Amino acid sequence: MSTRLRRQLLPYILVSPLLVFIGALSFVPTVDTTVEAFFRVMPLDPPTAFTGVGNFRALFDNPVVITSWVNTAVYVAIGVVASVVLGTAIAVALRRRFRFRGVVLALVILPWALPSVVEAVIWSWIYNPTFGVLNSALKSLHAIGGYHVWLGLDRWLTIALIEVVQVWQITPLSALIIMAALQSISPDLYEAARVDGAGPLASFRRISLPLIRPAVAVAAVEALVLSLNIFDQVYILNGIAPLGSSVMLQTYVTTFEDLNFGGGYALSLLVTAATALLSMGMLALLYRRTEGAVT
Amino acid sequence: MTADYQAGSRVARAVDSTAARGLARALSRRPAHAVGRLITLAVILLWSLFPIYWALNTSLTTLSAADSTPAHYVPSPLVGTSYRSVFGIGGVSQDGISSQLGRSLLNSAIEAGGAMILTVVIAVFAAYAFARLQFRFKRTIFVSVLATLLLPAYATLIPLYRIMASLGLVNTYIAVILVYVSGFLPLAIWILYNYFNSIPRELEEAAFVDGASPMRALLRVVVPVAMPGIAAAAIIAFLLGWAQFLFPLVLTTDLSTQPVTVIVAALNQQRIVPFTLMMACGVLAAAVPGVLALILNRYIVEGVTAGSVK
Repeated sequence: MSTRLRRQLLPYILVSPLLVFIGALSFVPTVDTTVEAFFRVMPLDPPTAFTGVGNFRALFDNPVVITSWVNTAVYVAIGVVASVVLGTAIAVALRRRFRFRGVVLALVILPWALPSVVEAVIWSWIYNPTFGVLNSALKSLHAIGGYHVWLGLDRWLTIALIEVVQVWQITPLSALIIMAALQSISPDLYEAARVDGAGPLASFRRISLPLIRPAVAVAAVEALVLSLNIFDQVYILNGIAPLGSSVMLQTYVTTFEDLNFGGGYALSLLVTAATALLSMGMLALLYRRTEGAVT
Repeated sequence: MTADYQAGSRVARAVDSTAARGLARALSRRPAHAVGRLITLAVILLWSLFPIYWALNTSLTTLSAADSTPAHYVPSPLVGTSYRSVFGIGGVSQDGISSQLGRSLLNSAIEAGGAMILTVVIAVFAAYAFARLQFRFKRTIFVSVLATLLLPAYATLIPLYRIMASLGLVNTYIAVILVYVSGFLPLAIWILYNYFNSIPRELEEAAFVDGASPMRALLRVVVPVAMPGIAAAAIIAFLLGWAQFLFPLVLTTDLSTQPVTVIVAALNQQRIVPFTLMMACGVLAAAVPGVLALILNRYIVEGVTAGSVK
């Protein structure tokens, strides 16, 4: 009898540590953010009081916050497109067996495994206006006449070059996800297409692309979530200047530099909502197209 | 010196000849195709590795060589001064960098390692329950845990900081580890859930026939078989922990708990640390995850792609 009771209780015992962690450190904080976003919370200037949409109105009256939203949209657009396109290209190039493929894969994954802060510091040296290798290499190739200041002058160039650093880090993830999908496609399909006289490009478009679409959707959503929340690379390569600021950087500045916690909560809630809505929307869009392509 | 050089060139020759044989064989089959593939491969590797190589290159030369134009593509002269000053060898230590870097590397190891162990232990038990046992609200709990994967990690930054502040845990290992674990659990559960589902149930049923309890079956039968999946969850949790920046930036305030990412960012912000030293610090901060990723890459591939193709 006691063994039966133990057996019935076992699942709850096994999941309870998980529930404590996720409950206390994920659900409670998420609810807290949602509630506090409508309060004035200033640790150095109490009291805390309900302000309704006051925090949100203040955010949208702040030109720096607006700039950071527009910047983030550009970070996301570049990040999603570039990492998915490059990831697909790498996946196609490395999907088949060849000598040293294991070694090549291990090396390709490396940028994903290293801390983004360290990577951003390395790229800041590559982009260095006086001694950076980017200037030096482009000059040697006669692509530029003189040395450029890459970061901090032109807004869009700064954003694009910072996003390159993130794309460099997250592309291996996209490549791995898409490669797994490519490898699960039956070789018979390609063989049949070849017999029917389809070239490599046609079989990629007609067979590979429709079948890897779910994987592309997953890779795109991963890139979306990561680029919408870009912080480390911006913090190192742009600092807290408005020029290349991202929403997450602005959340950090509002909360921990201006000590306006209410504003930080509101901004944080908006980023979370945007991330959830956009990622679900993107998933729905790409998945539906898949079904259409298959049937 | 000469012995080293000869050994080096012997290795280089051996590598050359294998590569050449492979190349010749590939070329004899479909020449244009093979050359195209080699170029593609070279471009992919250049893109993936050049920045890392560049950090090594700069860290292994002198400041005057690193600051010369046009750039030197191999370290010349090849010197270890940057690493000597980072390690504080020979009295050339610079502004306490060596003590800061050493301590912060230790902090990173404790925080990433602690988070890894706790994440894996909790996730193994919970994922087993989700994969094998029946209980009320199973689906609801499972789906809501996985739903947090779609939320940005930083959504909970401010409340987590305030929770830790109110508990007096800011600037402790515990705060950092607890926050990491809550963030890494959903992914670890997903990886392990998929792995447990790929293990045939007959294995446990045999144990049950022998009179083992479900707990015993999990620990004695399932866990040993699931080791590759557990390794995947563990290495990914460790790498994620080592790479964290914004959470420790907020949750840690001094060298007693600051991980190496925070210290590298702080040194970089001072703008007075020479780039040769900065790159040596970067290489050391990236060495542990880099070496782990190279050795354990097949588990990373397994973990990252777990269940993504469905």
